[in-house]
Amino acid sequence: MGATLRALRALVLLSGFYLISLVLLAALAGVDIALYHWGLRGIGAVKIAIVTVLLAVPVVRGMFMLRIPAAEDPAAVEVGEADEPRLWALVREVADASGTHAPARILLTPDVNASVREDAKLLGLRPGPRTLTLGVPLLTGLSEAELRAVLGHEYGHFTAGDTRLSAIVVRGRAQISRVVEQFHATADGKVADERERQERTAAKRIAKGKKAREVDTRHTGALYRGMARLYTWYATVYLRASLSTARGQEFAADLAAARIAGRDATAAALREIPVLSAAHGFYLDSYATLGLPARTLPPRGQFFGGFGALLTARAGELEKLRAGLPEEPESRYDSHPPMAERVRRVEALPADGRGPEGDGPALALLTDPEHTLTALEEAVLTAEALGFRRTADWPELLNVAMAEGITTARTPLHRALTAYNGRPATLTDVLDAIDEGRLWRVAERLPLSEEAAAAKGRAFRQFVRPALGDSLRTMVLAEFSARSLLNWEFSWSRAAVLRLPGAADDTGASPEDALEAAVDAALADVPDTAPLRALLPPTAVQPA
Amino acid sequence: MTVLLWILAALALPFVLFAAWMAKVFLKEFFSGNAEAAIEAEEAAATAAEKAAASAALGLLPAERQNTDSAGPSTPETKAALAAVRGGDWRPAADLMAAVGRDWERRSLLTFRLADRAADDDTWLLAWEAARPEDPDAAVVRARSAVILAWRVRGGQRAQHTTREQFDGFRRTLLEAREEVARAAALNPDDPTPYVAEIWLALGLGYPNAKMDDLWTEITARAPHHYEAHFSALQYWCAKWRGSERLATEFAERAAAGAPAGSLLTALPLIAHFEHDDSDDTAADNTPEMVARVEAALKDAAAADPAHPRLPELRHLLAYYLHLQGRNEAAVEHFRLVDGHVDALPWRYRNDKAEYFCQVRDTAVLEAGAAARAGMSGAAESL
Repeated sequence: MGATLRALRALVLLSGFYLISLVLLAALAGVDIALYHWGLRGIGAVKIAIVTVLLAVPVVRGMFMLRIPAAEDPAAVEVGEADEPRLWALVREVADASGTHAPARILLTPDVNASVREDAKLLGLRPGPRTLTLGVPLLTGLSEAELRAVLGHEYGHFTAGDTRLSAIVVRGRAQISRVVEQFHATADGKVADERERQERTAAKRIAKGKKAREVDTRHTGALYRGMARLYTWYATVYLRASLSTARGQEFAADLAAARIAGRDATAAALREIPVLSAAHGFYLDSYATLGLPARTLPPRGQFFGGFGALLTARAGELEKLRAGLPEEPESRYDSHPPMAERVRRVEALPADGRGPEGDGPALALLTDPEHTLTALEEAVLTAEALGFRRTADWPELLNVAMAEGITTARTPLHRALTAYNGRPATLTDVLDAIDEGRLWRVAERLPLSEEAAAAKGRAFRQFVRPALGDSLRTMVLAEFSARSLLNWEFSWSRAAVLRLPGAADDTGASPEDALEAAVDAALADVPDTAPLRALLPPTAVQPA
Repeated sequence: MTVLLWILAALALPFVLFAAWMAKVFLKEFFSGNAEAAIEAEEAAATAAEKAAASAALGLLPAERQNTDSAGPSTPETKAALAAVRGGDWRPAADLMAAVGRDWERRSLLTFRLADRAADDDTWLLAWEAARPEDPDAAVVRARSAVILAWRVRGGQRAQHTTREQFDGFRRTLLEAREEVARAAALNPDDPTPYVAEIWLALGLGYPNAKMDDLWTEITARAPHHYEAHFSALQYWCAKWRGSERLATEFAERAAAGAPAGSLLTALPLIAHFEHDDSDDTAADNTPEMVARVEAALKDAAAADPAHPRLPELRHLLAYYLHLQGRNEAAVEHFRLVDGHVDALPWRYRNDKAEYFCQVRDTAVLEAGAAARAGMSGAAESL
């Protein structure tokens, strides 16, 4: 089957999406007409008519769901040509080289992604105005030549390919994917999952300025779910039928990018994007949002700005990530072929002599990167987050965040002992409980896995020891923290390291080692709390 | 009008199918029928009752009266020592350990029984250690109890049904146990028992084969034909742990061939076969090789000291394989000798080991009875 035929088939299938609903409605109407035609009256006929109407409701609703809400702009900073002349010049230049028209707007977002959105109409049958969405982390992590390759790829989607129809197929796929997403979201309770996930990473949500979508529980009826499954099934058929076209498009867009930006820069950009994506996720989790529980943010402009420092400090680690590209597509219906294959195809092109052009990070294209990063924070962080205190530097943020985390932590042991004693527990209470031999009674109130709960005697103790150790350590550290005796070492290249006051003892054991040993002794089968009591700051624990 | 109706009917077909499918889903949720299962269970119960009656007539015990903690009866001294430690008194246990002395077979079994108790609650063992800090007997019980504790934390399920928490606790406890095992070995250099315990560390920590061979040299230097050492090492060489079917069979055959009669090591080839046999029929259990193995085991059992602490374990295996080979009368002979205790292979891997034991035993009894009646009425014996 040729590319044109394949595209045509996909187009027919696309219209079938509407047809399926019309067929269902016609069938229902047919039942009613048949009843009337055969002169059936009476209570039975009325009942059947009512059932057909009830069944028609989800069908009609399903048809309306095919209407896609107008695409919304993501939280972003819109930059005009006057603000960023050099960026705009680059964008126009790449559009010209691709032989397509430049976007009407450029939006800078905090995501590791670049896309050209076309607000197409009629399920992608008619073109519309274009918006270029460009992630600032890409500007931070890619060189100018690599950025050119990324833009060349995006424009390639509008120009590459052998038929005019395949461009329509690509647009249609995007729309259908959104319909399926919507069905999943409402029908399978994905919204609830999504919200749960978002609440777990509340920090990230605030960072990206997203609001949790409203949970819609009205459509939980089985009929509705059945409808949703029918449409989803059809969409899957459609996506599969048009998959080869879509993947071919990706390869073609890569070739277009290589033509414009050079083979080596394109391959480098393709390798770099998954790495940047992983690194940025890690950066947001472990650095940028570190202080959110303590209602603290990094210095102004640093929320997204620290990413560059992380990339520099962890260059070695990233090099390893670049070596291992994903060999599998992300899902069966992902329009993007596996990254490893895309890189292979680009690298198989003949050398064009341009090499990996050694220019600096694309962030330098911006007139005032500092200013843009600050503006981006204001555009995408929630108003609540923007009201948080700003620290003077990153090490201060770490210390504030860790102190907050430790002093407000209600450890499982704390909760268990509070429940056991019937009054708020302190570290002294814990040590006293250990001395009185009641620790294992208290431990039965810890949240336990099925296996731990089933275990008895020594096996039970082995199960709960790690959790008790974590809790006890945290409670001890909280005592130190409350007296400002804790220090955390900030680093862009490795995890924060805890520093307790004091120096290594005669045997070379650091204060941190001594703490570990003391916690182990307190939780042993024959417990001894003396080493732990000796370690604590003087006023923390009075003798029992 | 008729044409219109036909068109509508054609259009309605997918919808009707769709509605039928939805109706099926609804009905499925309301009725999860298990009537068939109930009938099957009833029939099975009827035959089981018939079998159980035949066994009861021979004086064999029902499943609920089988001891699931050991393979055979304990000596009165062992019973007394176990009862004492339950009450917190370690002295009878210490005295018995001293009396057993250098009888390594009995020492390893007694240590295991005591350590098994200590893995639940070691208060008495702590008291023993406090009273006699350098006692090698207390040390070896401590070492084995630490290893047993680790395996309890892991649980008896296969790897895919074992949680991360269980594996982490298993490893942590094994590493602690390693120190106890080394201490016990240092306190009593002649004793193979700590090294037997170490084999179970080797399984859990995944010793490479070379390290296992080193360990094996230590053991055979101390006790060349020790039953529990061989049994444990065979587990290590099984495919499910660190070996393969070939390695396990080779190890078992070599041990059985090199051992004097009465050492009971003829059990090893049977166990190696049992561990790697996934077939559903008894063809694999009736090969000339398996028949020869059972014959050798019968001779070994006959030559053994009747008080050998591991003799019941071999009898359980013999009863099972004699039954599978259709020699039900001989099987019943062994079933009667071990009846009352079921913690042995091949039953041990099942959660319902007593029921499993009784089910196989009762079948053997029934078939032996039928064969005997057939024999009396003049049917040809084929031997």
